Amino acid sequence: MTETAQRPRTAESAAEVVAGFFERYRAHDVEGMTDLCSINADFSYVPVELWGKQRVLRGDGKVRTVGKPLWAGLIASFPDLSVTVHTVTGNDEGDVVAQVDIEGTQERPWGLVAPSGLHYREPHLFIFRVGADLLIDSITAYWNDAGISRQLGHHEVD
Amino acid sequence: MTRTPTQAVQAFLDALARHDVDAAMAVTAPRVVVTVHPFGINDDGADVLRSVLTDLVQSFPDLMISVSRVIATGDVVTALFRAEGTQAAGYAGAINQEKHLDIDQAWRFAVTDGLITRADAYWCQAQLYRRLAVKRYDEIAIA
Repeated sequence: MTETAQRPRTAESAAEVVAGFFERYRAHDVEGMTDLCSINADFSYVPVELWGKQRVLRGDGKVRTVGKPLWAGLIASFPDLSVTVHTVTGNDEGDVVAQVDIEGTQERPWGLVAPSGLHYREPHLFIFRVGADLLIDSITAYWNDAGISRQLGHHEVD
Repeated sequence: MTRTPTQAVQAFLDALARHDVDAAMAVTAPRVVVTVHPFGINDDGADVLRSVLTDLVQSFPDLMISVSRVIATGDVVTALFRAEGTQAAGYAGAINQEKHLDIDQAWRFAVTDGLITRADAYWCQAQLYRRLAVKRYDEIAIA
């Protein structure tokens, strides 16, 4: 059993888990990010929606099946990806809200955006639910995807 | 008796759902700091927030606000909700094509002495423009 699993969940300990999550994100440690989540943790990247002819693919599902590939893909497309945490607030029920900037320079395609060598930086709001076992049970994030597209020189509303 | 942070934010959301901008502003501090990331707004003053809310309720007269979660973390309250409505006037640079809008958003509020002193709004403008039939970010007003 790890040290964190033996600690009680408080606003502070939940916020520490989230701080650790972003440290691993900053280090591009996708496995480590996933390890901080419960096996069935929920995942929702609200702005993610890819419109096909017959259906819309959304960024909703589980951390291990949807979140992990998205994180790995983002890091592959933006090899200098960086994360700056501005605020983290939590409560004793395990809710943690974080204001974060994510930035990077595009070297590979990202979605429908061709690699341009351009840099983006976009504010994000993350909402976490940390369980009593100090593992993340859900991740929800909001940001303005149009801001990213425009910074990368992609002006089509896909 | 001073409102709790959650009560203040709930009053704000209830007022917005009723399209009552004055009532929403009644729980907002005069020097509220307002950041609306999709619009690039980062300013202070109640007039800034009033303008954002007024544009929304006037452009979507049948606006519906469906709150899914209100999360209190000390003096910070985060509200997750969906805004739905039918466009009836120009909005965010997009001409009116009478399209239906449904946008999930998150607003993070800081509350002091029962008044909202900071509001940070997050939603995806790509989703908004997609629903309003905008084709390009650099030609938003061209249908």
